[in-house]
Amino acid sequence: MNPDAIVIGAGLSGLTSAVRLAEAGRKVIVLAKGSGALTLAPATIDVLGYGSGGQVVDDPIRAALLKAAPHPYSRVAPSTVEDALAWLPDAVARGPLSGYRYEGSGARNLLLPTALGAVKPSALAPASIAAGDVRGTPKVLVVGVDGMKDFHPALIADNLSAGAYAVSARAATLPRPNGLALEPGALNLARFLDREANAQALAERLRELVRDDEAIAVPAMLGLKRPGQTWQILRDSLKRTIYEIPTLPPSVPGMRLLDVLKTLLRQAGGQFINNAVVTGCRVEDEAIAAITVRISGHERTYSAPQYVIATGGVASGAVALGSDWVTREMALGLEIDNAPRPGQRRFGDDYLGRHPIAQAGIGVDGALRPRLAGTVLANARVVGASLGGAEPWREKSGDGISLVTGYAAATLALDAFDRKAVPA
Amino acid sequence: MKDISTDLLVIGGGATGAGVAWDAALRGYRTVLADSLDLGQGTSGRFHGMLHSGGRYAVKDPRAARECIDENKILRKVATATIEDTGGLFVSTPQDPIEFGDELLQGCRDTGVPIAEIDPAEVLRDEPRLDPRIKRAFTVPDASIDAWKLLNALADGVRARAGTVLTYHRCIAVHRDGDEVTGAMLRDVRSGEEVRVHARFTINAAGAWAGQIADLAGIEGVHIVPGRGIMIAMNHRIVNTVVNRCARPADGDILVPIRTVSVIGTTDVHSDSPDDLTVDQAEVDQMLDAGEVMVPGFRDSRALRVWAGVRPLFEDKKQDEASNRDISRAHALLDHAQRDGVGGFITITGGKLTTFRLMAEEAVNAMCAQLGDDRACTTAKTPLPGSEAGDYYDVGARLRNRERRGELTSPGNELICECELISREKLVTEMESSGTTNLDDIRRALRLAMGPCQGGFCIYRATGLLHAVDGLDNVQANRSLREFLDERWRGSWPILHGDQLRQSRLDDWIYQGLLDVEHLPASDSA
Repeated sequence: MNPDAIVIGAGLSGLTSAVRLAEAGRKVIVLAKGSGALTLAPATIDVLGYGSGGQVVDDPIRAALLKAAPHPYSRVAPSTVEDALAWLPDAVARGPLSGYRYEGSGARNLLLPTALGAVKPSALAPASIAAGDVRGTPKVLVVGVDGMKDFHPALIADNLSAGAYAVSARAATLPRPNGLALEPGALNLARFLDREANAQALAERLRELVRDDEAIAVPAMLGLKRPGQTWQILRDSLKRTIYEIPTLPPSVPGMRLLDVLKTLLRQAGGQFINNAVVTGCRVEDEAIAAITVRISGHERTYSAPQYVIATGGVASGAVALGSDWVTREMALGLEIDNAPRPGQRRFGDDYLGRHPIAQAGIGVDGALRPRLAGTVLANARVVGASLGGAEPWREKSGDGISLVTGYAAATLALDAFDRKAVPA
Repeated sequence: MKDISTDLLVIGGGATGAGVAWDAALRGYRTVLADSLDLGQGTSGRFHGMLHSGGRYAVKDPRAARECIDENKILRKVATATIEDTGGLFVSTPQDPIEFGDELLQGCRDTGVPIAEIDPAEVLRDEPRLDPRIKRAFTVPDASIDAWKLLNALADGVRARAGTVLTYHRCIAVHRDGDEVTGAMLRDVRSGEEVRVHARFTINAAGAWAGQIADLAGIEGVHIVPGRGIMIAMNHRIVNTVVNRCARPADGDILVPIRTVSVIGTTDVHSDSPDDLTVDQAEVDQMLDAGEVMVPGFRDSRALRVWAGVRPLFEDKKQDEASNRDISRAHALLDHAQRDGVGGFITITGGKLTTFRLMAEEAVNAMCAQLGDDRACTTAKTPLPGSEAGDYYDVGARLRNRERRGELTSPGNELICECELISREKLVTEMESSGTTNLDDIRRALRLAMGPCQGGFCIYRATGLLHAVDGLDNVQANRSLREFLDERWRGSWPILHGDQLRQSRLDDWIYQGLLDVEHLPASDSA
């Protein structure tokens, strides 16, 4: 296959680019080193949760568009944010998970309970998570599972009740389900609940615990393969709001979204290559001519007219600080912007304070194009956590930046095909 | 206000103070041990973890070498469970003078430190990460010792003999009746309650803070120079034997395998305050470079944590400069009846963790002499609680014991901290028995959050348990969580690079991106 585009990285940003390109009729290869950050992410699309003064953002699209360079949102066309936020729910609806859908508009943040009982603003979320918006759930029963170490219903309930929103919450714990031999973590429970009888049994258990006017919150565990049906069973049976709260990695909702995007990619003819580590590239005429890739120990060369670099940031190992205190992009040696130089202060004293190095990332121009040894690479776009200029975990913009820039890179690549009249 | 009467009040819950309290309790004295923070939160918990053989001092300081080997042999009998019998090595790297090995051999022979020269090729078989260009190598009976386990065992021993251990009790006044010290006023730093301790005798074992306690007692000239040194814990057992450079003692020339990590140390910067625990970037680079000399690739290995400790270097302002130079690194016993005409009060400071038992013996002997009691020291023969069986600690024990008991999959006792293999049961037991609400206290007791993820997963879990099991309300639990995140950060950021920065960023995503820990109720502003 002679691909039209090579996407490096299989997180939300890379897969968004890849699915869009493939669905537009382009031949796409996705090169993935590992399973991608989606398996770790809550899969709520946080576009912008808090402003620079710490205030809750009400209208995330508008706030995102106000961001100045070097923030990633400043690198994309203004309509992109809204378009990307419309694209994802549509893509999920076309995906393999029947009845599973995303909700939210981006015009107004959802306010969703976290696994500590804080309330986090998100633009989009799976419907089974979005239902937990604190403005619609004044009374909640937070239900954990005995032996589940990554969900503490009493702490969540007390913090929700003590928070700024008028929520009255109490906690309960379900016994460990009969028939689940494995440790009751969210992932094992999700696989267990993929069986309809087990979902029915859960509904019965919950019915015994809940009071008349209460909504029910459970850890994000309502199935991997048929989460739409499982949620529906619980709602039909319990006749009330029931919602999921994302838990520590591995993330069940993240794995669902990964499944959706990979399936859409395959259906559109995209190719997915695992265990592929990009080790370098050849540059000709200010563009990438080919990349070298190590796949299971063998070096191979891939070539395409367009490249999307979605390798992730520090968390994925794509951007790394060396013991010489120099920050580098590890695959191609792309130039890094906003990194403190050796000898400069890298971190602040307070964990939750600001840290200079947090802004570091692959430097790009207004069309998301990176530089290699001073040369702007005309046919490459950098997306997602690889980009610097933001502290997404802090302002709550991680999956928002990934989705929006991944979407934008596909648009830019498609425009380039059109300009060069490359037939699809 | 509460009143307590006792025979002996010991101020300072480091190895020396806890050792004094244990020694006195064994001799039948009613004992109160007090510290302003948790046990071992000062210098004793902030060292590299080395139980000296004496080899390091054999050339330069024969007296210290003799003390070390004597105490090494004793602790290997009475504190076995706190010691891992790693053995020690002196290696001549390409940067070390080859002839120093001869001085070392002679020094060890003169001071009774068992030493043998071995073939460097043999050393490299056992320790393959050492520089292959090592020219000479010697074995000595160094070991690693877990200070927190030691302190907890000493405290358990004190309590078992009707003694009292008061952590988080700061000494705010030392009481005198004329020329006699009669006890002290303590303040519980958590509740604010004051505790008046009436004591027949008071021993100041406050280490780097001993000058401040002496001041409170109106004693002049007890000047402690804080000698600050940093240590870096590396994520792996880079070596399984204590490794010393075969040269005169200098900065960054020992690498100690302890528990699941290896610790390199240390530097020596004289500081103005014992509370100055600054980690200087230049010192971090100095340590990483020093590690590189022993272990090629050390700089790029995964560094987990850095901390500073302060050696108490005693300087007697009542004596001339010449004698101070000699005693600065040795321990100092100040009988204030002889020195200052103030009875019922002794200061014991300086020294090293390896010799804590000897220091305690000398201090309690001096007390007995003042009191006219004839009670013999038995700490050299009495095993500490937990060490009765005489088995050394070994690094695989936690995993092996869980496997043997079938606990790796047992319902209701899941692993809360996977890095350090701490089960729910163990954590809950510690929370209930210690009554602490401070995750950092639990860290010292169990090594919670001391592994590669530095609490990425277990801090969340432990907070949930503190709230559910320990009865902490949500605001206190939130505070405990935030404080612990800050505590972990302090020892983390100066060394963050490579994979450990990557790990730290995952933790950012968990605590901030997923959990939104910044916006919990009543944390700071809400």
